Amino acid sequence: MSNLIKTIDTTDCLEGIESVCDIEGGRISGEIFYDQKIYEQELEKVFARCWLFVGHESQIKKTGDYITTTMGEDEVIVIRQKSGGVKVLLNACPHRGNKVCFSESGSTRGFICNYHGWSFNVEGNLIGQHESGIYEDSNFDKSKWGLKEVAKVDSYKGLIFATFDPDSPTLEEYLGPMTWYLDSLFDNQEGGTEFVGGCIRSTYECNWKIAAENFVGDILHAGWTHDSAARAMLGGSVAKVSDFDESYSVNWNGHGYEFALDTVGNVAVLGDSQLNKYLHTIKPSVAERLGEFRSNMIGSVSSCTIFPNFSFLAGQNTVRIWQPRGPNKIELFTWVVVNKSAPQDIKDRWRKGAMMTFSPTGVFEMDDGENWEYCTKTAKGKVTAKQDLFIGLGMDTYLEDTDLPANVYKGQLNEANSRAFYQRWQDLLQAKSWAEVPNRNKGKAEVEK
Amino acid sequence: MNSKDQQLTPVSMEMHYKVTGFLNMEYRLLDEERFSEWLTLMADDIHYWMPGIENRRRENLLSEGFYDPNHMAFFDDNITDLSRRVARFAQPSAWAENPATRNVHTLSNVEVFEGESESELLVYSVFQSVRSRGQDEEYVIFGRRRDLLVKSGDSFKIRKRLILMPNATLSCKNINTFL
Repeated sequence: MSNLIKTIDTTDCLEGIESVCDIEGGRISGEIFYDQKIYEQELEKVFARCWLFVGHESQIKKTGDYITTTMGEDEVIVIRQKSGGVKVLLNACPHRGNKVCFSESGSTRGFICNYHGWSFNVEGNLIGQHESGIYEDSNFDKSKWGLKEVAKVDSYKGLIFATFDPDSPTLEEYLGPMTWYLDSLFDNQEGGTEFVGGCIRSTYECNWKIAAENFVGDILHAGWTHDSAARAMLGGSVAKVSDFDESYSVNWNGHGYEFALDTVGNVAVLGDSQLNKYLHTIKPSVAERLGEFRSNMIGSVSSCTIFPNFSFLAGQNTVRIWQPRGPNKIELFTWVVVNKSAPQDIKDRWRKGAMMTFSPTGVFEMDDGENWEYCTKTAKGKVTAKQDLFIGLGMDTYLEDTDLPANVYKGQLNEANSRAFYQRWQDLLQAKSWAEVPNRNKGKAEVEK
Repeated sequence: MNSKDQQLTPVSMEMHYKVTGFLNMEYRLLDEERFSEWLTLMADDIHYWMPGIENRRRENLLSEGFYDPNHMAFFDDNITDLSRRVARFAQPSAWAENPATRNVHTLSNVEVFEGESESELLVYSVFQSVRSRGQDEEYVIFGRRRDLLVKSGDSFKIRKRLILMPNATLSCKNINTFL
């Protein structure tokens, strides 16, 4: 018996998902935001299967440094190993299941369960118990009872992901050509990025998909929803996205990035000219490193979600996970990401700017919460839940003739990414195994390394 | 009382009375959405700070225990930041503020001590903020506060405010008020 978690037996797929999620018809139903049965399927077929973001390398620098988080509703410990690698362990004692680590981060030589004193080292191996003699009398084999490990852990440019499913594609396959776009934020300077200290956690009474979809491809809301915040921070309205000459929505495997090429549209809303200046200063070196195109993305009007629930905004540099806590509740974990090589003053300005705009006290985020909660809550009504919700903008905007990687759509005012997100969600819910998940990608898969 | 507290000198009853009156008035301005007037109570060099609270083991505490000045914060504001927040509340397009959020702020456990200079006062207190939104939403936030007031004519200005919520996870979606 290994310390790997046993694969859960997949239950049968729900019938009739296509009736609440008709992507080709450009409509979904609010039922997918409120239904308990659908939610339970999501925990199993989305969260226990997909690669999930669990932390940044910079949060756990030394052996024994750890953070705790959740994968779906499963609690895990992400801990740096002596070997330099990272293990992701179930935060539940294999004796009675009690949580073994109650803090959100720290540094340790191991974990001791408060209940019966089972003690585990950094690798998760069981190394002792209270009254250990009586276990020996029962022919107890300690080597079989360590903290369980997730099936796979991998990282991309400092971002650590894990999956419970041994049959999942590799992280490289899972992210596909989206990495080309991720580099514009996470690898635009030598040394890459780091997270600022701390993690702000808050609670929304909304479905996790509403929030994830907002970041996957909904810049449309910004000009309206965030008008007041933009006026407060900029003294005027947000950039009129429909005026941009060139912008895109790109997606792959349900991940999506929508972006303009205006370099500083996102960072500008932090209202700190030093941050605009920093991006303009590094831009030539980004162009050298990643090419002209991506140097225009470093703080442009944009947003991204890596399926299912990891999102960020380049420019505001807020990074977040929408942790599912039932069909109509999420816990939001937010961090601030900065270039490791940036001057300390610039890092501090980003820490403050990100919180001023996108945090529970952020002037932009305050506009979103109300909308997301009521998009969820109206679906409590059985009749309302069946109402068709329009998701059909940009149906004919796919770009066949482009050198850009992934599935590329013209314009960021477009619901193409949202449709791709819900399509992937539907595909996963209808598949008993990874082998049954269809490949819907039609764009360029290869990216230059 | 530890030695740190023994060094603190309580102010006179009269001064205590004036300070509590000032802080109660401040909270009434917030409850009545008189944000511009509220802003005038801040000193130009205000540091309005509500650090994020991190749930950590005793052996892994941060520079200030459960928080750290270099970590993420709900508020880490100067006067410009506060002015921007007030400006947002004033926009007719703050859709989420119409209907308005109804606030009741209360302050208790007030202790007032002399500050490091003659013009400063150190105030410890406990706050509770109850917000109601829409038909039936209610959010309660409570915590401890440490203020540094500076005497200004017959009244005071707030020079430093430290707001400490006990929660490592905010139990609601936002803090659309001041504390």
